[in-house]
Amino acid sequence: MTRLEDLFTARTAVIVPDAIGSGAAADLRERFERTGYTRYALVDRGSYDELRDPSEPETYAALIALASEATGRTLELAEARVLRLVPGDYLLAHHDHVHDELHVELILDLSPAIVSGADVHYRRHGDVTFQVPSRPCALSIVARASSVTCNHTYVSRLHTDACVVRLALLLRDR
Amino acid sequence: MIDDVVPAEMIPELFAILDEEPVNRYESDIFAFEATAPEPTTAELRALRDNFASTLAPALSRITGTPVTRVDMRAYAYRPGHYLLPHSDHQDGLQRMIAYAYYLPSPEPPVGGELELFRCRVEGGAIVATDSARLIEPRANRLVVFGVSDISLHQVCEVLGGLRISLAGWFHP
Repeated sequence: MTRLEDLFTARTAVIVPDAIGSGAAADLRERFERTGYTRYALVDRGSYDELRDPSEPETYAALIALASEATGRTLELAEARVLRLVPGDYLLAHHDHVHDELHVELILDLSPAIVSGADVHYRRHGDVTFQVPSRPCALSIVARASSVTCNHTYVSRLHTDACVVRLALLLRDR
Repeated sequence: MIDDVVPAEMIPELFAILDEEPVNRYESDIFAFEATAPEPTTAELRALRDNFASTLAPALSRITGTPVTRVDMRAYAYRPGHYLLPHSDHQDGLQRMIAYAYYLPSPEPPVGGELELFRCRVEGGAIVATDSARLIEPRANRLVVFGVSDISLHQVCEVLGGLRISLAGWFHP
């Protein structure tokens, strides 16, 4: 029997490669760097740099248009933040926001280079249901139910020069 | 923390017991390592676990004031890139009272793989700040024990080279 919860979790989860040019990604990284990150370090939840609500209306409009097309929904921005992870950083699933509404989450990979193993995982009841690998300039579009959590995997210290930069947008129906 | 806890001539016996135990890779958002199953599959490892409990539980009960009797035990192998991120070990209903880790000699001593303990500042029942309090090297034949609570945050730092082999688990009432 299909449960109601299953119906609501069988939703869009796609990756759009090359959603942004590498030059534009570098420009965004530089602007975020200038604005400045805040370190988050409650170690049982996460370890990363964060920049909340950067003002990038043109970028947001372009990404929201892609997400609206992919989901068939009319969407607007609810929340924006940039996450920067360096070797030793992570963001655990139980630190993820739990959303009551059915939001769409976009993650634009602005990293300067691929970082092996630095993925974003969407989980349901602990199991990975959708994996977003490190891929600079790619955009993931995930329609989330409240039972889905998200974690950013540990960035190995073996990758001494690794730098992961992700613009994360949370969208809601307009 | 107790060093040289097992007589040197007994350590080959430990390896002989562990050699018979299947090992699998485990991975989640907070860990990546190889380990034996939560419940030993061989009678020899079950016997080792039970002897470990009967030898140490009375002394630990006296020292800590926390009465413990039984123990669980798994063997862990951390290779380069393996880690266990900060967590408390506390879970409602599991009655984990005292955590332990015993480090075995390694054919390639590990680089990294320290046990890091964190100090937590709590306000209104929630952790609001965490700081590194102590870094313990996984030295061969060392036993580390610590009390489990909802603020006993600790981690196994990423192993950057070599192999970190340990027995670990919790003492229960």
